[in-house]
Amino acid sequence: MLFAIGDYLAGILVGILTTFAVRLCVAPGMDMVVAMVIGMTAGMVVHVVVGFLLAPFVGMFETMMPGSVIGMYGGMFFAMRDSMGAGSTTALSAAIVGGAFGAIVVFAVRTYDRILHGTVLDTGE
Amino acid sequence: MVPLDDLATKRKWDKSSKSFDFLTFADDRRYGPYKRELFQKIRGKTLMLAAGTGNDFKFFPPGLDFVAIDISAKMLEKAAIKAARYDGKIELREMDVCHLDYADDVFDTIVTVCTFCSVPKPVAGLRELRRVLKPGGQILMFEHVRSTIGPFGILLDLMTALSRRFGPDMNRDTVGNVQKAGFRLRRIGNVYLDIVKTIEGVKEHA
Repeated sequence: MLFAIGDYLAGILVGILTTFAVRLCVAPGMDMVVAMVIGMTAGMVVHVVVGFLLAPFVGMFETMMPGSVIGMYGGMFFAMRDSMGAGSTTALSAAIVGGAFGAIVVFAVRTYDRILHGTVLDTGE
Repeated sequence: MVPLDDLATKRKWDKSSKSFDFLTFADDRRYGPYKRELFQKIRGKTLMLAAGTGNDFKFFPPGLDFVAIDISAKMLEKAAIKAARYDGKIELREMDVCHLDYADDVFDTIVTVCTFCSVPKPVAGLRELRRVLKPGGQILMFEHVRSTIGPFGILLDLMTALSRRFGPDMNRDTVGNVQKAGFRLRRIGNVYLDIVKTIEGVKEHA
C-alpha cells in the first residue's frame, strides 16, 4: 500500500516539475516542433533526476518507467500547449494539470503491469 | 591472468558496495516475496551467484547449506555479516562467474539474482554455469531485462549508457542468452511489466 502511494506521489511530482520546466523553457508563439523537442528534453531530464532521487525509496523500475512516459510525453504535450499560448494561467493550475497527468500515467502503467504480471511460459514440470 | 573487463567489473562493484543496500532498499522489499517463492524450488547442492551484500540470503529457505560467490571482495565483506545471521550454512567465495573454480557437473541448483545485467560476457558466463551444473540440474534466476514494449525498451537502451558506469546494464536479453547457453526454459514469470522476471532453466541430460 505504501509503495502504491509512493508510485503515485513520484508520478505526480514528475508531472508537476515537468510542467514547470516546460513553462520556463517554452514561450507562447515558439515554433511548435521546436517547443515539443525542448519540452520532451526537459521532461526527460526531470524524470531522470527525480527517478534517481526517489528510486531507493520507491523502487528503480517503478519510478523510472512511469516517469519516462510522464517526462517524455508530458513534456511534449505541455510544450505544444504552451507554444500555442493555451497553457495554464497560474502556477497552481499548471501544477494541478501536471500532477493529474502524472497520476493518470501511473494508473495506466500499474494497470498494464497487472495485465502482464504472472507466468508467461510454463512447461508444467 | 584476470581479463581487463573482469577487473573493471570488480572495481565497479567494489565501489558500489558502499551504497548498494541504500539504493536497493525499496527493490529489496518489493521483490522479496517473489524471490522467496522462487527460492522454495532450490534442491540439492546449490551455488548462488553474485551474492552482493547478502541482501537475498534472508529469502532462502532456512536450513540450507550452499555456496555464494561474488566478484567483489568488498561486497563479500558485507555479505559475511548477513551470512552469519542466516539459519543455515553459507560458504562465501570470491570468484568470477566466467571462471568458476569447480569441476564439471557439481551442482543441482544455481541461483542468480540480478546477475546477468552485469556480467560483461553473459552467454560465456551462462555456459560456465551450465558446465558446473549436473545434467538435469536447474537454474533459478531473478533478473531484469530489456522491455519489448517500444518506449520502455528505448528508454532502457538510453539509460544503459549511464547506468553501466556505476552498476548494471538495463537492456540485456537474458532470456535469449539463457537459451543461447544451451539451457531449456522451464518457466518464465513477469514480476514487473516485462522487465523484472523470474526465469527457470534446465540442463538437459546428454
